[in-house]
Amino acid sequence: MDEIQSLLHGFAIALSFKNLALMFVGIILGVIIGVLPGLGGANGVAILLPLTFSMSPTSAIIMLSCIYWGALFGGAITSILFNIPGEPWSVATTFDGYPLAQKGRAGEALTAAFTSSFVGALVAVILITFLSPVVASFALEFGPPEFFAVYLLTFCAFVGMSKEPPFKTLASMMLGFALAAVGTDPVTGALRLTFGSTHLLTGFDFLVAVIGLFGIGEILLTLEEGLAFK
Amino acid sequence: MSAGGGGRPAFGQKSAEIVVAALFLLLGAIVVYDSVRLGARWGSDGPQAGYFPFYIALFVCVASAVNLVVALVKKGEDRAFVEVGQLKLVLSVLVPSFIYVALIAAMGIYVASAIFVAFFMRWLGKYPWWKVAAVSIGNSVAFFLIFEMWFKVPLPKGWFERLLGLD
Repeated sequence: MDEIQSLLHGFAIALSFKNLALMFVGIILGVIIGVLPGLGGANGVAILLPLTFSMSPTSAIIMLSCIYWGALFGGAITSILFNIPGEPWSVATTFDGYPLAQKGRAGEALTAAFTSSFVGALVAVILITFLSPVVASFALEFGPPEFFAVYLLTFCAFVGMSKEPPFKTLASMMLGFALAAVGTDPVTGALRLTFGSTHLLTGFDFLVAVIGLFGIGEILLTLEEGLAFK
Repeated sequence: MSAGGGGRPAFGQKSAEIVVAALFLLLGAIVVYDSVRLGARWGSDGPQAGYFPFYIALFVCVASAVNLVVALVKKGEDRAFVEVGQLKLVLSVLVPSFIYVALIAAMGIYVASAIFVAFFMRWLGKYPWWKVAAVSIGNSVAFFLIFEMWFKVPLPKGWFERLLGLD
């Protein structure tokens, strides 16, 4: 078992005091970056890259990967506490995390999000370590038709599992697709739906849509419920 | 429940659903129009630029047409969508926000933000003037330092920044 030997060798290097301290710093920085809306794991790693210039390559990789993991979890914090997903992948956390927080059980929701992040990350790392040769051969066969099938299943699940009438879900979902189609067509290079506006050339940013729909929507909802100005 | 105004409904659930469904129908129609203009057929070299948006927009149109019909024929008691007092509160933030966005285009984000913060602190918060000035100007200066100086992200600037030679 070469993998186990390599893994243990890796742990021996990672578990030095200096590297553990770097992990700690990296996770904290990552969580801060994840909480800020619009700064995701990849941006965070890019911004904090200069911090690692003076480090050895191994320490730098450890710190940057910890920043990345921290940012993945940090996105869940705003989803649970404010119903504003900081990153695309924490949108699903708003579905049940925010209602829990409203019932005063935010701590439980955060613990659940953290535990599931931890378990998921652990399982993923173990799987990748042992299965990556197998997965690599399979991944090449996962082409556009398979991706389409997975996405179709996802969006059908949205329609099926939503509490709202299915046609409302369908209309909003498809409008989202139409928003995503604004801008330069990636295949032909033609300009779609820009109507001569240069601002629309690059389309609608995910961040803009999220802040508008979740952030401002949440502020207005709070106002409507009369929680403010008292 | 609401802070001011009556508990009178401003408009009902039914009219809200009709208006939203009609808006979706309009948006869908705009997308269909532009997709057809670009060509929504299967060309000799594959799908044309409007192919995907065209069918997406057809979905939007059909689904919102169904929503519109459902909302129109729905019977039974019409619940209040929003009460007058609530609507006033929401508009008291929404309208200044629209003006704020318009001001960003006119005079840059930093001056507009200072005015926006100052307006809310004075009008809704009733803070003393020195606090209003300190927070609104400090806020813009802090954001200027963070975005322009440290993150090197250029944000919209106007005559004020040009006057100071910062643009």
